[in-house]
Amino acid sequence: MAKRSMRSVIVASTLASIVICGDAFAQSGRDYVYIVGSSTVYPFATVVAERFGRGSDFKTPKVESTGSGGGLKLFCDGIGVDYPDIANASRAIKQSELAMCASNGVAEVIEVKIGYDGIVVANAIAGREISLSRQDIFLALAKEVPGGADGDLIENPYQTWQDVNSSLPAQRIEVLGPPPTSGTRDAFVELAMEGGCKTIPWIAALKNEDGDKYKAVCHTIREDGKFIEAGENDNLIVQKLEANPSAFGIFGFSFLDQNAEKVKGAAIDGTVPTFDAIADGSYPVSRPLYFYVKKAHVDVIPGLRGFLREFTSERAWGEEGYLSDRGLIPMPTVERKAVANAVSQLTPLAVAEK
Amino acid sequence: MQITTLTLIIAAMAAGAFYFGRERSLSVASGPSRMQTLHSLPGYYGYYTAIWALLPAMGLLLAWNLIEPRVIVGLIVQGLPDAEQSMSPGELNLLINNIRNLANGDIVSGEVGTVLQDAAARYLEYANTGRWMLAVLTIGLATLCASLAWRRITPKFRARNHVERVISGLLIAASSIAILTTIGIVMSVLFEAIRFFREVPLSEFLFGLNWSPQTAIRADQVGSSGSFGAVPLFTGTLLITGIAMFIAVPVGLMTAIYLAEYSSARIRTITKPILEILAGIPTVVYGFFAALTVAPVVRRAGESMGFEVASESALAAGLVMGIMIIPLVSSLSDDAINSVPRAMRDGALALGSTRSETMTKVILPAALPGIVGGILLAVSRAIGETMIVVMAAGLSANLTANPLEAVTTVTVQIVTLLVGDQEFDSAKTLAAFALGLMLFLITLGLNVLGIYVVRKYREEYD
Amino acid sequence: MSGESTVTTRSKVERSLGKRRRKESIFRILGIASTLVGVLFLLVFFWTLIGQGSSAFLQTFIEIEVEFSEDILAPAGELDLAYADFDAIARNALREKFPDVTSRSERRELNQLISVGAGYQIKDAIAGDPDLLGTTLLMQVPAAANVDMVLKENIDRNLGEDRRPISDSQLEWIDALIADGSLVSKFNVALFTNGDSREPELAGIRGALMGSFYMLLITVALAFPIGAAAAIYLEEFAPKNRWSDLIEVNINNLAAVPSIVFGLLGLAVFINWMSIPRSAPLVGGLVLSLLTLPVIIIAARAAIKAVPPSIREAALGLGASKMQVVFHHVMPLAMPGMLTGTIIGMSRALGESAPLLMIGMVAFIVDVPAGFSDPATALPVQIYLWADSPERAFAERTSAAIIVLLGFLLVMNLAAVIMRKKVERKW
Repeated sequence: MAKRSMRSVIVASTLASIVICGDAFAQSGRDYVYIVGSSTVYPFATVVAERFGRGSDFKTPKVESTGSGGGLKLFCDGIGVDYPDIANASRAIKQSELAMCASNGVAEVIEVKIGYDGIVVANAIAGREISLSRQDIFLALAKEVPGGADGDLIENPYQTWQDVNSSLPAQRIEVLGPPPTSGTRDAFVELAMEGGCKTIPWIAALKNEDGDKYKAVCHTIREDGKFIEAGENDNLIVQKLEANPSAFGIFGFSFLDQNAEKVKGAAIDGTVPTFDAIADGSYPVSRPLYFYVKKAHVDVIPGLRGFLREFTSERAWGEEGYLSDRGLIPMPTVERKAVANAVSQLTPLAVAEK
Repeated sequence: MQITTLTLIIAAMAAGAFYFGRERSLSVASGPSRMQTLHSLPGYYGYYTAIWALLPAMGLLLAWNLIEPRVIVGLIVQGLPDAEQSMSPGELNLLINNIRNLANGDIVSGEVGTVLQDAAARYLEYANTGRWMLAVLTIGLATLCASLAWRRITPKFRARNHVERVISGLLIAASSIAILTTIGIVMSVLFEAIRFFREVPLSEFLFGLNWSPQTAIRADQVGSSGSFGAVPLFTGTLLITGIAMFIAVPVGLMTAIYLAEYSSARIRTITKPILEILAGIPTVVYGFFAALTVAPVVRRAGESMGFEVASESALAAGLVMGIMIIPLVSSLSDDAINSVPRAMRDGALALGSTRSETMTKVILPAALPGIVGGILLAVSRAIGETMIVVMAAGLSANLTANPLEAVTTVTVQIVTLLVGDQEFDSAKTLAAFALGLMLFLITLGLNVLGIYVVRKYREEYD
Repeated sequence: MSGESTVTTRSKVERSLGKRRRKESIFRILGIASTLVGVLFLLVFFWTLIGQGSSAFLQTFIEIEVEFSEDILAPAGELDLAYADFDAIARNALREKFPDVTSRSERRELNQLISVGAGYQIKDAIAGDPDLLGTTLLMQVPAAANVDMVLKENIDRNLGEDRRPISDSQLEWIDALIADGSLVSKFNVALFTNGDSREPELAGIRGALMGSFYMLLITVALAFPIGAAAAIYLEEFAPKNRWSDLIEVNINNLAAVPSIVFGLLGLAVFINWMSIPRSAPLVGGLVLSLLTLPVIIIAARAAIKAVPPSIREAALGLGASKMQVVFHHVMPLAMPGMLTGTIIGMSRALGESAPLLMIGMVAFIVDVPAGFSDPATALPVQIYLWADSPERAFAERTSAAIIVLLGFLLVMNLAAVIMRKKVERKW
């Protein structure tokens, strides 16, 4: 009895391996678009991919969420079906990455700016309504803040928001934000922190004298537990905020948009983060999102040109397009036209001589 | 699926070879009644022929499949006009992809020129020829080898020894895969780790008290501190592991004792598998539970008692991880307790000790090596746990022993460093590999320790 | 003398008896309590999960009178499946119900009530039956996720208009639709038949399930035979020397190596070195095989060890070769134990997600994979991805996917328990 069961197990597993071996070697070309990159662009790229896949005869593109750096690394590894056609990025490509691309034969890369993403400082609905200036943000979150005299820097002593600015509530500073590996963090530091930092005259003056020091002062976030690095899962941050009304969170506008009954965005420099305020530029903390395409792959990978056309169409990224429903802030009409034009002409980025 | 058919044909041929080999052995022994003149049982002659039918043909099939695509691509490229031949390898690769898509009837991108159509036709032709050649060759080889083997069958032929040698070769090959895996793991993290240590000195990594990989994401930024002292990561890991073990060891051990010693057989058969579900729940799921259900409860409870609790406290992650590990501790302790000979237990009971006394004074000391081994395994599972801490524990590298603060662990850092937005070849990304290597070395150390403990203190009763 | 000492010992024992009994009962209670901790946690866990996820198994549909208008579907006289505006047909059908909605912005809001899936459904209907052209048909098309959320009371209507993702007039229309019975709640078939989607009402787990299925198939086909063979070799044939010690330490160590490190291995060896495409179930299956191999080897060795030596000796005594002893006598007896270990290894592989993060399986893949080299995700990865989606309706779908995953795990564990019943025999 036991022996028979053993034999049947062996026969079954052998048959299974035969089927697997046969299939594993089946050769077929790649007939879908392959996209990698930033987890911030992922929600937008996937919507376009799905609409494109369903609306055309082509297969739905595959979109991998790898982070901008990992995505560009894969993207720049070479030309051919094994490498991605498109890399999403929440920051512009670096010259060193372009150089790496070029050295691997990826000579012509087309940059496509797709729109803007606002970065909000939000807290639970149950929390207090709050209006911050960028200077408040800087003073609350920087590692070192100006001391008494000009030129003095002291370890950030502020414990509550009231310590920072007497008009703010006496509530413990507790901010959940992205880790240093994140493009969101990078943009937040550059736009909000540095923006606040500049308002202090002697630091602003430092910019011309000692640029390195200026950036070190403005860009370093405190590490004493008031700023909590909370990972890239923005939904979790929203839920953690809901559970903890005294904490603030830093994340993308689309999550605020979708969770408007749980969290609210703090006004920054007097402007509340709304779709229109970000679109017209009056909300100060927003950053562009990009994707990059290999010119050599266009017209060779089935569907790639169609995907580009779909992404740059008005019904996708236009003011009333489906991407704006998902929280992508569209570019002004003129800029959209210019980018769409560049894409259809396949104008590659210039590699700067260095 | 063509290859599947071929494999099935070869398998059927092997089955046939088995039959003929067996028959042949019986006939050379002149009938089943005179089977004892054979060296081996008739089945072994069958297996021997079957092995010769199967192995060479399968080897050929495998090799062919690895080489064939390359050969076909080479032939296609040779047949292309000069203009296409002078393309870069990457572009050529794309062109071939297009040809393949065209040949397979999938959608093709761009215009289909005569060159492409021509190449696709040739591709199909080559693939077809290749398939026929392969079929003829493998079936031929199988027939040839099997018939050669078949002819070797005589009553004196030591078929069993041959078959057993092949089988023991296969067994050795299977057990060496574990070694290969280890080599693979070391190799895949070592090189990047070495590159990291070229940029960051080993001493700073091992003894630095400050982990803050805030180096610049873009070249025009000046990074802030950017220090890579891994001590806070390891203390954070240790803290969370400690909390987890603080839950899992007593609860797991007591559960094992209860189920082994006190509970009725029915309760045992029901409870044990229920508890084992705990170990099977995906860690992603635990992670969400820890972050969304347990962490707020811990925070509220802490604050009502007047403590300051971070929303991503080590406590929440540790608690949930502890619960996840309970069945691991309990089932391994259960095994250790059950392997203590009954005589010892009965002896203690006969001398009048209560059950709990028997347990704590006699059985547990005897089972200790096994329990310690199980706990060490649980510790290494806790250290290596990723998703729970990714979701619940946050990323702040604090050097603290306070379970109410946020800490981070080695595995969390590996994930965030590898899927971040920073440039890929920066010290930040490389640090992930260095951390992976350290993690591997630590679990290795724990295991060697565990084996040492078990061996040194194991009491041999049987 | 001796009598007196007996008395004192006896009285000593009797005096301490109460204390000892108390200790005994405390010990026993502690045992029960710790057993309950695990069981209670499990109950709470399943309770919350089912509470959150069960609503995802129902889905709201809108019943509309669809007119397969020739003007839209066949503008040039011929049925044009590729470029016809199927969404417009769905929109027109909905607008029929609200004739007084005329302004452009209001119409836009009205259109948002209906899922983009309606267009696909209409396309499929006419593609399947071209004779529908020019006729009208009563169809149930999926409602937008927000409508579904309102009906399931996951969106609070009492909040201010700017706080909820649905406007006052949309709420009015929903109420009107409810009143005339056009909103129907049906079993969410899409959840089981569709691949991933960014529209929650269209998203399904079929793609992820198939991905997991292919990976587990590879894992079983590789890890079980190799693991069993390695266990047999180590337990029955390997000479006891440094080398076999090394293998033993090595296997125990591999069982403890963090799974994410296996992901790094898969990335380096299978993708970069052997150039198997990223995201393929083949790579995932190979990584999971390596991951479960040590678990299976350890369990299989334990099963072989449990076969009493008397059986081996008896077989050897009757003249069987070592190989015959192992394959004819030890293996059949150890097989249930080995299979139990394999099932436990498989259920661990099914729930594993950390190594898959490293080999490109965290991806948006709509098409259901049809083979081992098609791009795919796995069930736990799908859970991770959905949990990260901003759309509200994905929250309940995440829980639903978890319920499905746990269902599979329960079945596998049950199988292991039944097998173990067989193996728990006393010699």
